[in-house]
Amino acid sequence: MTGPGIRTPLLGTSLLAWRNLSHDRARFIVTLIGVGFSVLLMGVELGLLVGFARTTSGLVDHSRADLWIAPAGTTNVDIAGRLDERRRFQALAVPGVATVGKLMLQFGFWKKPDGGNESVSLVGIELDSDKLQPWNLVEGRVADLQQQDAVIIDRLYADKLGVHAIGDTVEINSRRARIVGFTEGLRTFTQSPYVWMTHRNALVYPNYRPDQTTYLLVSLKPGADAGQVRRALRERLGRVDVWHRADFARQAQKYWLITTGAGSALLLSALLGLVVGIVIVGQTLYATTVDRLPEYATLRAIGAPAAYLNRVILKQAAISAAFGFGLGTLAVYVIVAITSYGNVAVIVPFWLVLVLAALTIFMCMFGALISIRRLVRIDPTSVFA
Amino acid sequence: MSTPLLRLEGVGVTYGSGATALAALVGISLEISAGEVTLLLGPSGSGKTTLLQVMGCLLRPGQGRVVLDGRPLETLGAEALAALRLAHVGFVFQHYNLFPTLRAWENVAVALDLKQVPRNRQNAQAMHLLDKLGMGDRASHFPAELSGGQKQRVAIARALAGSPNLILADEPTAALDGKTGQGVVATLHDLAHRENCAVVIVSHDPRVEPFADRVLHLEDGRLTDDRRAAGNQA
Repeated sequence: MTGPGIRTPLLGTSLLAWRNLSHDRARFIVTLIGVGFSVLLMGVELGLLVGFARTTSGLVDHSRADLWIAPAGTTNVDIAGRLDERRRFQALAVPGVATVGKLMLQFGFWKKPDGGNESVSLVGIELDSDKLQPWNLVEGRVADLQQQDAVIIDRLYADKLGVHAIGDTVEINSRRARIVGFTEGLRTFTQSPYVWMTHRNALVYPNYRPDQTTYLLVSLKPGADAGQVRRALRERLGRVDVWHRADFARQAQKYWLITTGAGSALLLSALLGLVVGIVIVGQTLYATTVDRLPEYATLRAIGAPAAYLNRVILKQAAISAAFGFGLGTLAVYVIVAITSYGNVAVIVPFWLVLVLAALTIFMCMFGALISIRRLVRIDPTSVFA
Repeated sequence: MSTPLLRLEGVGVTYGSGATALAALVGISLEISAGEVTLLLGPSGSGKTTLLQVMGCLLRPGQGRVVLDGRPLETLGAEALAALRLAHVGFVFQHYNLFPTLRAWENVAVALDLKQVPRNRQNAQAMHLLDKLGMGDRASHFPAELSGGQKQRVAIARALAGSPNLILADEPTAALDGKTGQGVVATLHDLAHRENCAVVIVSHDPRVEPFADRVLHLEDGRLTDDRRAAGNQA
């Protein structure tokens, strides 16, 4: 006879695990908050790491160059010396090179309309080249940069730079500049906002000679071997660095995140989140296990193998992981949404969600080990006590 | 005479060692057969529970030999003993030992799950066992919602899951009132005869005796009496 309402989708160890947790709701909620908080902490710190990494290499990642030629000894894209334009012609003569574009990148001083100065990064581009253009343009047109004193900045830094709309004028290195457009979400790790302008205009502000630039961006002919061309460029051009685009992006990330210690600090915080999670899960699972020792002893007495008891504990850990992960990930995405309007980016791509899921599972399973160790020593004769 | 299911030969159990050593069982030899109810009597501390633990493969004796269903226990490890318990033994405890977070039928289903009864048959089999013990209408109740007698019936249903051939009951009536206790023992007696399983009951309760086919008496860890009960209520 099977009465109505007595079926359950869970049976066996899954049923025991779920009921053990859900029976004490207060403790279960504490566990979930603990796991969720750990996921949040790990998610935000790792998301910051990804955000910083992408910020440090944003210009390189968004370029369409196969190779970057940089002044010798360049360690990151934001800080570099100067190259003579004759290098461009030398590069064009190397077999396999299709086109070579110029990119200016130098610091400048921005004088706000209402007074006060800010440091900015001047990005001089060639409008007739597709090697690098401002992306995520939300107001104005790139073509408007053709005008003599035209610049484009990012909305995120508009307040910091004291401008609000197209047409606002400022001074850069004591020369007039006028806002002709805004991008959105182009952050800089150095906190010196990118100010986009034509290469021609950029030469004026930092007082470069007309035959100077910062980088040369190389596009290869179809079928050309990038490694071979890179070696040829280094031989032909002498004292310069030649990077594959991806390598230069990685170098920029490495420089800012590792050599400055910023990445280590973020990784350490993420590790702390993992440890906090392990402690919380371990403690609450152990408390639940100790409370239910007579039941585990009964199971053992009636013939349950040790593996069956362990499965109950591991499933409790898995349930805590699943619910805690859901809660934590939701909180992470709230932070991602909030920070998308700020200077600091928390970026959580799908692969990072998978990493967080793996870390959460590891955290909960590791936390369950203490309980499993306790059950290994359980004495089934204690049921007669 | 029924076939011997369990055989104990010169079994001895000693707790502790040296000057503090305590002999809980000394030279116990007996056979338990299917289809009969054996009552184990004796004062507190006489070794009844220890003997039950040995019979139930929960405790390996220090001396002697235990053979359950033809398998000697002395060489078996903890997991093998657990497997043997699962296959042959059903336990009924004094305090029921039901899982408080599970409904009555789920308590029985867990035992079926241990015996690897397919998931889609656990519900029906659990209900069948509860029906057999008159608990079908309480199947969806949690233990806290049941009376002592009802809990013990659920515990018996759990012990019967998977049709064990040996049921060991430790003071099954101790926490029950007289009438309920008698009902529980009568149920165990019926099961022994109907299902042809061996039932061993440890009890202080003299009202259990009329339901026993055989009565064993323990004193200071020694078997002092082993007699067939006359005129039981079978």
